[in-house]
Amino acid sequence: MLFRALRRRFSHLLVLALAVAVPAPARATDLQQLIHDVEQQYMGVSSHSRMEMEVATEHWQRHLTMEAWSLGREYFLVRILEPPKERGVATLKVQHEVWNYLPKVDRVIKVPPSMMGGAWMGSHITNDDLVKANHVDVDYTFTLLAETPQLWRIQGLPKPDAPVVWGKIVYEVGKTPRVPLRIVYYDEAGAQVRQIVFSDVRKIGSRTLPLTMTVQPTDKPDEHTVLHYDTIDFDIGIKTDYFSLQNLKAR
Amino acid sequence: MLLRLALRNIWRNRRRSLLTISAMVVSSSLLILALGVFSGMLADILSSATEQYYGHLVVSRAGYLDDHDLFDAFVPEGDLLGHLRQSPGVLGASPRLRAFGLVSRGQNTYPAELLGVVPAEERQVTNLETHLVAGSYLAPGADAGALLGRGLAAKLGVHPGDELVVVTQAADGSIGNDLLTVRGVFATGDTGHDNGLVLVDLPWLQRLMVLPGQIHEVAVRLKEPLQAARIAAALTPTLPDHLTAVGWESLLPEMREAIASFDVSRMIIVLILYFATGLGILNTFFMSVMERTREFGVLMAIGMRPWRIRLLVLLETLAMGLCSLVAGVGLGLLLSLYMARHGIDLSGSITPITYAGGTLPPRLHAVLETSNVVLPAVLLLVVCLLAGFLPANRAAKLRPVEALREE
Amino acid sequence: MDLFSLAWKNLWRNRRRTLITLAALSLSLMLVQGFHNLSFGVYARMVDSGVRAGSGHIAVYRGDYAQSRNEKLSFAADDLPQKIAALPAVQAVLPRVYLPGLAQSSRESRGILLTGVDPAAELAVNPFLRHQPKEQMLRSADGRDALLGSKLMQELKLGLGDKFVVTVQNRDGELASELFRIRGVVKTGIRDFDRSLVMVGRQRAAAMAGIPGQVQELAVILKRAAAEAATLPQIAGIVAGRPQLHALSWQQAMPNLANAIRLDYSSQQFIFVVILLIVTIGVVNTLLMSVMERIREFGVILAVGASPGRLRRLVLAEALLLGLAALVVGSLLGSLLTWYLVAVGIDLRNYMPDAMEFGGVVFEPVLRATWDIAWMVRIALYVVGLALLASLYPAVKAARISPVEAMRHY
Repeated sequence: MLFRALRRRFSHLLVLALAVAVPAPARATDLQQLIHDVEQQYMGVSSHSRMEMEVATEHWQRHLTMEAWSLGREYFLVRILEPPKERGVATLKVQHEVWNYLPKVDRVIKVPPSMMGGAWMGSHITNDDLVKANHVDVDYTFTLLAETPQLWRIQGLPKPDAPVVWGKIVYEVGKTPRVPLRIVYYDEAGAQVRQIVFSDVRKIGSRTLPLTMTVQPTDKPDEHTVLHYDTIDFDIGIKTDYFSLQNLKAR
Repeated sequence: MLLRLALRNIWRNRRRSLLTISAMVVSSSLLILALGVFSGMLADILSSATEQYYGHLVVSRAGYLDDHDLFDAFVPEGDLLGHLRQSPGVLGASPRLRAFGLVSRGQNTYPAELLGVVPAEERQVTNLETHLVAGSYLAPGADAGALLGRGLAAKLGVHPGDELVVVTQAADGSIGNDLLTVRGVFATGDTGHDNGLVLVDLPWLQRLMVLPGQIHEVAVRLKEPLQAARIAAALTPTLPDHLTAVGWESLLPEMREAIASFDVSRMIIVLILYFATGLGILNTFFMSVMERTREFGVLMAIGMRPWRIRLLVLLETLAMGLCSLVAGVGLGLLLSLYMARHGIDLSGSITPITYAGGTLPPRLHAVLETSNVVLPAVLLLVVCLLAGFLPANRAAKLRPVEALREE
Repeated sequence: MDLFSLAWKNLWRNRRRTLITLAALSLSLMLVQGFHNLSFGVYARMVDSGVRAGSGHIAVYRGDYAQSRNEKLSFAADDLPQKIAALPAVQAVLPRVYLPGLAQSSRESRGILLTGVDPAAELAVNPFLRHQPKEQMLRSADGRDALLGSKLMQELKLGLGDKFVVTVQNRDGELASELFRIRGVVKTGIRDFDRSLVMVGRQRAAAMAGIPGQVQELAVILKRAAAEAATLPQIAGIVAGRPQLHALSWQQAMPNLANAIRLDYSSQQFIFVVILLIVTIGVVNTLLMSVMERIREFGVILAVGASPGRLRRLVLAEALLLGLAALVVGSLLGSLLTWYLVAVGIDLRNYMPDAMEFGGVVFEPVLRATWDIAWMVRIALYVVGLALLASLYPAVKAARISPVEAMRHY
């Protein structure tokens, strides 16, 4: 799910990078249009994956195995396979709403606004991240900061009234292969708050992508969340009706 | 000898003495009653703030009480609870675990505070049981169920016997979730608790939160709640290093200020009352001296020194004061006892109200306290002496010759 | 009147006794009046403060919003504010939007109550904003300025000028987020507010929730609190055309405050009864004494042909004059005390922190009195009445004197 977001991000950055040899303030409107078009292009791409998440915080260590389905930016479903205690716990996202299914009590809970700031499955990813992840191109304007033979460094600054908490986001995108390397998040004062590092680049079918993503909060250097894809398949042909509350409850 | 003379003088003019004494008796007894009612109000305020939820004194990790951090839990080592229960002045100690999560029924989901307690022990420290409006208290044992506030129950649409879903983030990062049966509904008048507090079984919560054997705090009930700060300070050194004891004064600083301002108004009232009383009996004393001018003249003529005359008058006033004191205290105690047992119920016109973090039940009643009796008694004697001072002086300053001429 | 001039002269025959009794009565009256006016002033200020920050002297709500606080009970303000503001007794109408939501910074998030207001009207009236510096006030009803409770700003790890995001659930059940910037910080002194208050322009708030132009509350502030009884039906009439809306007085909308005052007042009345009782007993005592010491004289009067009734009336007259004198002197002193307490008041700042909460309202540490003339007159008349009451027994005693025995009296 989050990985989908990143993939979209770096995909349109790819296009951006190709289109730009110089910093592009003069071509900002072109970039926006470009990004928008790219967005439209990825509507309808579906995926099915199996992944592992390892979380280390001050208070706990967790290791989860999950199965996930996604469709475009608006839909995904994740079900926990391991550990046994949490098997069957599932999260469904449809556009801006998030539900959790709890097999032990056989209930579906809709996540209210007050819980959106909370950690998803005890990781460094928040419920809010899941909902907001797909709005990056809408909420930010991008400029090229630097370019080396290996990578592009691109800065995203929030648009004036965008409802995002970050002051700026800096992307490092590798040139060959074209994969994201790192994303760094800053607060308004310019202090680094967290970073996401990508690794484990593989070729799956016709696509090349990093299979491992590590989230690191800056204030707590001993903590991290590592998300790793064991398997991933694309274009599996599911439709939006797959992402329903009934399916959320299915075992 | 002087004393005997004083007593005989009093007896001689029985009616007047009786009048004076009765005035003093009524004043002192009413004052004892008034102070008792004040104490009653104060006790109500304090009790409402502490005995529904906080307890008089809390033992926890230092700093836990500021932010209620889930991870400040600890395992009570050795016989911490036993040690607390045996400490002087302690009436009960209840171990508790606290978590925040969501409670849900049907389509309704609301945030709530989950307080895990051992029902039998919590009963000895807090009195939520007396605020039940439906159902019953937590059942002992594994299926204890939940007790929730009226506002929350209404929003969720639950009644005793209904099932709730509880969802929270456990201490190991997993989603803690379980079903709970509602056992009872309480209404304390405090909107915070009525809309957000859920009382549950301690072992159940420990399992849900993955905090086996751990608690956040021990709430303690004291025999003398007003001494909580002192007792907490004395208790802390006897506890393991990572724990401290804190009295309600620190938990509810607003309450401390409320009580301080209350004491100020009480003092003002006491002064006003005694001022009125003093003036009232001043007349009587003056009368008794003026009437006996001739008699004093005789006494002086036969050789009694002025200072002895003064002392005589003062002894008379003091003797009357003592008499009134006994009767006044007796009557005052009786009245206070009545008010303590029965009181005046105002719930017809007033509902419970919040005051500096507590809730007051709508009634007037009295509490018997030694200071409420001793203070009026001592003041009465002081007022007597003061009221007797002027007349005594007057008597002492008489010139025997003129005095003898008086009728 | 012959009787009264005699009574007056009798009073002053024993100057000291009369003066002392007069002093007792007058001073008690003074203290009781002063204390009552002080409480009256304190209550009035608490009500005023609570009313302005809370629901107004009169509030318009939909359904049972006053109890349930269910944010779905919103209604279109339309022209109601103008119509109500046109009433002569009304000082201001404050439309308000209340939405529970989440505030997020880059590091923390907290549950909050998003409060949408009309900045100009609110800033003029709301006591929480009284000390707000100009540069820390909201600038428009649809801008992105926000005022935060002091504790909340701390917990979000933000400072003045920083941005944050508020998320609420809109009418369709979806989550809506908006960016705001901290324009100012508010320290109300009430824990709950300082932890959860986010004050913004009401148009922005309503738009977020998908209810443009709607509000949850119309708080009506009157020029004088006493006008509430007369104005309530007028406002009820204005909203009568909108079947789901009600007009509530502040006592109904903020029962906590109303009851807090009532309880405090009852205990005070109890104390006053005790004080007056004590004073009355003193008066009985004094009058009885004065009768006793004039037994011989009364005996002579009776022997000479005056009726017992006349003696009774004499004693009553003495008491009446005493009471009236106490009324005059006591009320004068009471007025002086009240004047002092109105102008200067009692400063408790050394004994209390800046603010204290009582009945859900912040309690000011400088106590000021307010004139309650009606009550002062009433209690003064009670004092006269008590004096008369106190004289009943002595008067009866006097009338029952048998002249023969009396003259034998020492």
